[in-house]
Amino acid sequence: MHSKQRAWFWNAVFFAVIIGIGCSVYLAGKRIDYTWRWDRVTPFIINTDPISISAERNGTVEINADQSQITLIPDSGEESFVITEFTETLVSDGDLVFEGDTLAELHGWRIGPIVEGLIVTIEISLYSLLIALALGLLIGLMRISANPAARKLAIVYIEVIRGTPLLVQIFIMYFFIGTVLELERFTSGVVALSVFTAAYVAEIIRAGIQSIPDGQMEAARSLGMSYPKAMIYVILPQAFKRTLPPLAGQFINLIKDSSLVSVISITDLTKAGREVVSGSFAPFEVWFTVALLYLLLTGILSWSIQRLEKRLSASD
Amino acid sequence: MTNTPDDMIVAKNVDKYFGELHALKDVSATVKRGEVVVIVGPSGSGKSTFLRTLNQLEEIDSGSLMIDGTDMYARDTNINKLREHVGMVFQSFNLFPHKTALENVKLAPLKVSGRAEAEVHESAKELMYKVGLAERMDNYPSQLSGGQQQRVAIARALAMKPSIMLFDEPTSALDPEMVGEVLDVMKGLANEGMTMVVVTHEMGFAREVADRVLFMEEGALLVDKKPDAFFDNPDHPRLKQFLSKVL
Repeated sequence: MHSKQRAWFWNAVFFAVIIGIGCSVYLAGKRIDYTWRWDRVTPFIINTDPISISAERNGTVEINADQSQITLIPDSGEESFVITEFTETLVSDGDLVFEGDTLAELHGWRIGPIVEGLIVTIEISLYSLLIALALGLLIGLMRISANPAARKLAIVYIEVIRGTPLLVQIFIMYFFIGTVLELERFTSGVVALSVFTAAYVAEIIRAGIQSIPDGQMEAARSLGMSYPKAMIYVILPQAFKRTLPPLAGQFINLIKDSSLVSVISITDLTKAGREVVSGSFAPFEVWFTVALLYLLLTGILSWSIQRLEKRLSASD
Repeated sequence: MTNTPDDMIVAKNVDKYFGELHALKDVSATVKRGEVVVIVGPSGSGKSTFLRTLNQLEEIDSGSLMIDGTDMYARDTNINKLREHVGMVFQSFNLFPHKTALENVKLAPLKVSGRAEAEVHESAKELMYKVGLAERMDNYPSQLSGGQQQRVAIARALAMKPSIMLFDEPTSALDPEMVGEVLDVMKGLANEGMTMVVVTHEMGFAREVADRVLFMEEGALLVDKKPDAFFDNPDHPRLKQFLSKVL
């Protein structure tokens, strides 16, 4: 009973601190000379402005009986333009129109540049995650291999990649390797992120494999399994389970690090944020939105890995 | 010393070093088909090391090893193939913790021998029955007692249909009340005519089940006798000293 009361008290302290920080940020925002205009940001997330459909030539408009189709018959005698996708007609049957006149409007919503950037960030992170996992596994296995060539290559790889900044690696990948191999921006970005993350994944996987008792490998080999089979069926499944928490951390870093590819003009979430700032003049709102979206991504990832951990813990 | 078709294990002049340590000193021994050979000796005497050379978990530095007529160190010997015929049971069980008891038994027949799932499933269930664990098949190792885990480990080794079984102190990690259940399974195997090499401290088991008992000390094989002679008339001074401590 007593310990329960104490828990209540400290939970109350927690919420008080959080609310306190929230209020200070809010008041700080009020004090500075800045007009908060959150409404300016929304069109860049979801754009609900109608799209106007304009006439491509001078000509005559024909609208069919059930208003489902607008036909523009050009005066020049060219083929007619048929418009079927629209919500509101702004002309009537038989109107004469000039090139550039608005014939109809299409309502609805489209994704704005911030969401486009978010999608690019998700794509880059997802590709990089998969490549980094495969490459990291390979390097990690080389790192513990009995073959000196494989082992030393892995050590050099890990030391070089971990010893240089990611930003510099992205520049080298894009300007040097990208030029030599004629890689696209997006590919250069994905490769740089994968190569960088793989070095950390390799060390995590090495530690995971080495944490499995030797007896497991001996038992597997004594049953006639080859080294690769023992790895695949016995060692790696156990090591994978143990490495999930550090791998989750590494992949959360990957999502955050992906913001650096904006320096080679990939329009990811961060680059989109920068562009929207100059279009909306609402830098504070935009950057808070961008931060929130990154938090959403990393949150979803860490939540799903926790779910996976729970499922794999059946045998504990 | 010529090999007859009944020689399952022939070790000749086996030497093994761990760095400076001379772990096996010129060990020669023969195990015939259906024989149960128990190796005893003080800890650090090399008995486990010798056992582990018999399926090449330890490589030897000189000498030769013939397993069921195959020279283990011949150029064309596939060690993985050879190991399929030599089952091993470890002191610490070494069950695969991410798989259920039944899956532990099924893994090698499925992935190594490539036998059909239905057939492997049936024979694995039979083995679980044989070691008295039919009700615990779907439990994970962490949900089993030490004695139960060791019996699963025996079933797992038997699933490869080995012609030789090696036991490396199979009861040393068990609580005393669980030793009996494991020894019973081993006795059953011995009665079926399985060729067995057992490293153990269970002198009762050695006396009751063994066809021959070997005594090792400091890497050397000092005594190789039938159990009666071994226990009742120990003539080697080192063996006398050892038996006076353990009996």
